[in-house]
Amino acid sequence: MGYGKSDSYRVATTQDKDDRSPKKKKGGTKDMDDLKKEVPITEHKMSVEEVCRKFQTDVVQGLTNAKAAEFLLRDGPNALTPPPTTPEWVKFCRQLFGGFSILLWTGAILCFLAYAIQAATEDEPAGDNLYLGIVLTAVVVITGCFSYFQEAKSSKIMESFKNMVPQQALVIREGEKVQINAEEVVAGDLIEVKGGDRIPADIRVTSAHGCKVDNSSLTGESEPQSRSPDCTHDNPLETRNIAFFSTNCVEGTARGIVICTGDRTVMGRIATLTSGLETGVAVFLGVTFFILAIILGYTWLEAVIFLIGIIVANVPEGLLATVTVCLTLTAKRMAKKNCLVKNLEAVETLGSTSTICSDKTGTLTQNRMTVAHMWFDNQIHEADTTEDQSGAAFDKSSVTWLSLSRVAALCNRAQFKAGQDSVSILKRDVAGDASESALLKCIELSCGSVRMMRDRNKKVAEIPFNSTNKYQLSIHETEDPNDNRYLLVMKGAPERILDRCSTIMLQGKEQPMDEEMKEAFQNAYMELGGLGERVLGFCHLLLPEDQYPKGFAFDTDDVNFQTDNLCFVGLMSMIDPPRAAVPDAVGKCRSAGIKVIMVTGDHPITAKAIAKGVGIISEGNETVEDIAARLNIPVSQVNPRDAKACVIHGSDLKDLSQDQMDDILRNHTEIVFARTSPQQKLIIVEGCQRLGAIVAVTGDGVNDSPALKKADIGVAMGISGSDVSKQAADMILLDDNFASIVTGVEEGRLIFDNLKKSIAYTLTSNIPEITPFLFFIIVNIPLPLGTITILCIDLGTDMVPAISLAYEAAESDIMKRQPRNPSRDKLVNERLISIAYGQIGMIQALGGFFAYFVILAENGFLPSQLVGIRLNWDDRSLNDLEDSYGQQWTYEQRKIVEFTCHTAFFVSIVVVQWADLIICKTRRNSVFQQGMKNKILIFGLFEETALAAFLSYCPGMDVALRMYPLNELTAVRLPHPTPLLATLRIIEYRSLAFAAVCKRVLLWTSVCLTGALQGHRYGNLSMGSFRCAVTEHGSQGSREKGDKRGLVSAAVFGILETEERSHKGWKCPIPLCIQTGAE
Amino acid sequence: MASTEDKAANKENVSSWKDSIYNPRTGELLGRTASSWALILLFYLVFYCFLAGMFALTMWVMLLTLDDYVPRYRDRVPEPGLVIRPNSLDITFNKSDSKNYRTYVNHLESFLQRYNDSMQENNADCIPGEYYMQDGGEMTKKVCPFRRTSLSLCSGLSDTDFGYQEGKPCVLLKMNRIIGLKPIGDPYINCTVKKDHPVQMHYFPSEGRIDKMYFPYYGKKAHENYMQPLVAVKLLLTKEDYNKELAVECRVEGTNLRNNDERDKFLGRVTFRVKVVE
Repeated sequence: MGYGKSDSYRVATTQDKDDRSPKKKKGGTKDMDDLKKEVPITEHKMSVEEVCRKFQTDVVQGLTNAKAAEFLLRDGPNALTPPPTTPEWVKFCRQLFGGFSILLWTGAILCFLAYAIQAATEDEPAGDNLYLGIVLTAVVVITGCFSYFQEAKSSKIMESFKNMVPQQALVIREGEKVQINAEEVVAGDLIEVKGGDRIPADIRVTSAHGCKVDNSSLTGESEPQSRSPDCTHDNPLETRNIAFFSTNCVEGTARGIVICTGDRTVMGRIATLTSGLETGVAVFLGVTFFILAIILGYTWLEAVIFLIGIIVANVPEGLLATVTVCLTLTAKRMAKKNCLVKNLEAVETLGSTSTICSDKTGTLTQNRMTVAHMWFDNQIHEADTTEDQSGAAFDKSSVTWLSLSRVAALCNRAQFKAGQDSVSILKRDVAGDASESALLKCIELSCGSVRMMRDRNKKVAEIPFNSTNKYQLSIHETEDPNDNRYLLVMKGAPERILDRCSTIMLQGKEQPMDEEMKEAFQNAYMELGGLGERVLGFCHLLLPEDQYPKGFAFDTDDVNFQTDNLCFVGLMSMIDPPRAAVPDAVGKCRSAGIKVIMVTGDHPITAKAIAKGVGIISEGNETVEDIAARLNIPVSQVNPRDAKACVIHGSDLKDLSQDQMDDILRNHTEIVFARTSPQQKLIIVEGCQRLGAIVAVTGDGVNDSPALKKADIGVAMGISGSDVSKQAADMILLDDNFASIVTGVEEGRLIFDNLKKSIAYTLTSNIPEITPFLFFIIVNIPLPLGTITILCIDLGTDMVPAISLAYEAAESDIMKRQPRNPSRDKLVNERLISIAYGQIGMIQALGGFFAYFVILAENGFLPSQLVGIRLNWDDRSLNDLEDSYGQQWTYEQRKIVEFTCHTAFFVSIVVVQWADLIICKTRRNSVFQQGMKNKILIFGLFEETALAAFLSYCPGMDVALRMYPLNELTAVRLPHPTPLLATLRIIEYRSLAFAAVCKRVLLWTSVCLTGALQGHRYGNLSMGSFRCAVTEHGSQGSREKGDKRGLVSAAVFGILETEERSHKGWKCPIPLCIQTGAE
Repeated sequence: MASTEDKAANKENVSSWKDSIYNPRTGELLGRTASSWALILLFYLVFYCFLAGMFALTMWVMLLTLDDYVPRYRDRVPEPGLVIRPNSLDITFNKSDSKNYRTYVNHLESFLQRYNDSMQENNADCIPGEYYMQDGGEMTKKVCPFRRTSLSLCSGLSDTDFGYQEGKPCVLLKMNRIIGLKPIGDPYINCTVKKDHPVQMHYFPSEGRIDKMYFPYYGKKAHENYMQPLVAVKLLLTKEDYNKELAVECRVEGTNLRNNDERDKFLGRVTFRVKVVE
């Protein structure tokens, strides 16, 4: 095995001495250590007959259908068991009782308890507690169901994806070839595989014709290995007569007997190993609000009622649902963009990614060898390598090109698979190796049908490529039926081809190969090789008719014809070209502060060429070797710090100490690891994580799965990836395209931003919800906001606007800022709390209390009378409570006023939440930059308002929810703190300069004015002036963006001044804004 | 910020959690330096002062808009409630134990102090049976007298025990004061006992009438010494009514005032229980 061999697997393949049958394991508990030790395969050492006897099968006829059915029943289907999934009811209960829900349950239980006690002690117990308990229970159950269905929905996407392509297998049963589902294959089945098939189970090869398998998904070995019926090694992983489940047959055909299926296959065992690695468990924040009410020293029942109120007010009931909806929305959106996110949390982590370790083949490149350059007529021609053939075409008129294309077409064993005429040439499947397919497609594209060309030039003899000759040769009849000469065409390693040539074709004419031409050839060869391309040389010769007359018997084993003094035609070089979208994506990563590291098993030169091509090594950056070459000094004399880029060879990586590794990762911004094995990928990932990076890693092989698990975000390939890697990954790229990762990062950052906005919005209303209770308890005023109304806010009016923030478009700088530091910039951090609770929440509470006092005062209870009134107010037997005007109120009458207050408080929270929604809409942009394009948000504003109006004005609500309509004058007065809130948002704008200051002056003035204008029409007026101020200066802002700031004078702007200074780099501790991650 | 973190990580990882409370190298307490804390506290102080000032200002302006005499909205108290004195809905006493009913008697006595003649010398005489309208003119309104003597047996003048001693207790009823209320018709109080055979009752003033001259009420400030009209009911309980709990329901009748609201059990009516123990 080559560089990719895995020591760990060698350990894992000690021989099965006690001859334990793998079947014994079935049903028993799977002991990890046991699994790690052995791969109990002995069949490779048995003869074919012995194997047949063991599985009661026949080497020609295969199993009988009856036996196959029996074995299928015994062993179960041939599929890897998915990692143990949690049962549905556990998931459901987790949604129902996890997190906040437990608090609400407590609240509900306390409600029922309180009601029970009241019912036992009082004659006519008030139903309030019972209703509240029922409402709370309903709320938890509904939100629980909601998040459960959301989660089920997103996991269904994954499931549906898994089942997209069922694998087929060709088995021989009772002597007949049948195509069956790979899952139905059983041990003992005789199976036929051909090039391009995925091996459906572990098979013991009984016969093979040029069969080669790609074991890379199992061992990381990328070179295909041949398979034959002979046992070549004691180790089943290395012997040639076993082909493994889930590996690919690259070429040739083979027959074999299935020896293991499903989890008992070698791959299955390794898969079980990886799924055993544990992942961290998310821990919920414990909310401890229980203690408060008990300390306050009220009677037990009262304390419980307060407690319920506090719980209900403090739990953002809608938040859980909002977060799930946000994440699901993003997961859906990403699935549309070919990123499939397996667990929702991964979306959020993705946003903080600071390093991406990407595979080369298939991810950065198209995974399709393509002819990139040609050298003929002593000139290098560039071929079109783009995916859509939009690149430049070369001159096809030269005679030399015609010859070259003829050689390339004839001396080529690759052919298109049948039935693909409608498919575009580049997308057709080809039987044959990568370089030959590249040539085939290139010729087909530029010269038309290769098949017809081959038909015209019948092949008479052929010497296939082998590693000693390093050339491939074939002899054909000529196109001209009158010409009886034979055409010999040859391709191979350029230097070998050159050795056999004595002439060279230039502009269609044969000319002797002189030293000058040889040098030209050398230069071209070096240049193309330096581009990391695989170069092939082509030559031909028309065999003289006199020596080789028609019907001459060419003997390819004992060469009886001329193979030197040929005519050199040209060179063609191939490369796996980068995907079109990759350079842009890499550029985006760079501006987003994300380091892209390329990890590949390829040759360093190829790796470097591709890295330069896609911008991983950016233009102008040199490696140590480049500097050495430029300055013409030995590599050892170059200061490694001078080189920003570096290419590290896998064999060097092995010898590096941890410190050296850290040093490389820290000091080089552009790193390429070449000739690395999947095991080394893990080392690279760990190295990056040691330096505090959040690492995303791509991988497709089974051996990548430890790295995928270790990485913060494991990205598996949807097309080329193995099932095991997909299981280990957090995200799957459906199109294997690197650019999709970047889209993923962008979406991740977006969802982080949007979740933050959503949470900030939802949390804010907690303060106006909880302060009424605190004042009720401490100052003994009538309760300003009831629990039912709190629920109406949390689950009614706040819901749609909070979710609408998930639809908010990305802010302009989303891919220009540095990745967020996950330890400092959390989703909910003290800054967010500070602004949501400390600032906006306080202003909102203020607005609510104002509304409350207005309602009471206008109905006769002046604020001065309210303090301490609670005991009398809530006394049912007191029915002549006197107000400030001498009127006397019955209990029910003043309760109606109280409920009107609740409604007013509720409506004023809704109104201030309008402004809060605008505040939370942006984190860094101003609203004017961001615009109001989020239609759902606008809908949310209207929905919120309509719902609030419905709840307070719909007849019957006074009975159902105890909400009483406000009269128009009062309602108009409620928006009073809105301008203040909006101003808070204005303070935060960073980018607007002079105009911003002007705007602030105006807005603060308008705020002050609103106070003075307090009166009948006050609400309308202030909103009007606010709006006109905003629009006026919004347009000014865009015009005068270039102006310098500097108009800070009035004392009012004390706060602003601090904030201004913070912009200039002065470390401002004041969390004026939610903005984060900029430092 | 980043540099300090690096330092911490390099030097001692062990004490990192302690550093989060107090970091002696940078002098950070809970992640902030003293000056940083001072600034943030200063900010919040200023911010909250501003908010408080803003709140006070708006409240002040709001209070300025209010009328001193009449509240802006009176639609939440359109109809008066009916309440009783003594201030208990469960009147239980032992008629032979004076200590037992002393609280009720004292309560009634102190409640009626305001209705003493000596307190009402300044009150003008009004024309009975007509609203005493005083819409124009002075802000301070004149008050119609309500004489304690009109309660006769229940005035506590002749019988200082209000009939409690003899087991025929007096209960005073009053309609809640509501500004501007002018009941249409002739309001009177009618009480019934939910019992097989009716209990005799005596109403003072006669027939439990409430004279219209006490309406309308002009509010605490304008009508400072307003005398709320009272109706006394003397329950003439007999021997067989003793030791039983009697549910008495009184209603305001003869007017447009509501006395059958489903939810509000005290709107124009009142239900109380009386139990006299021998």
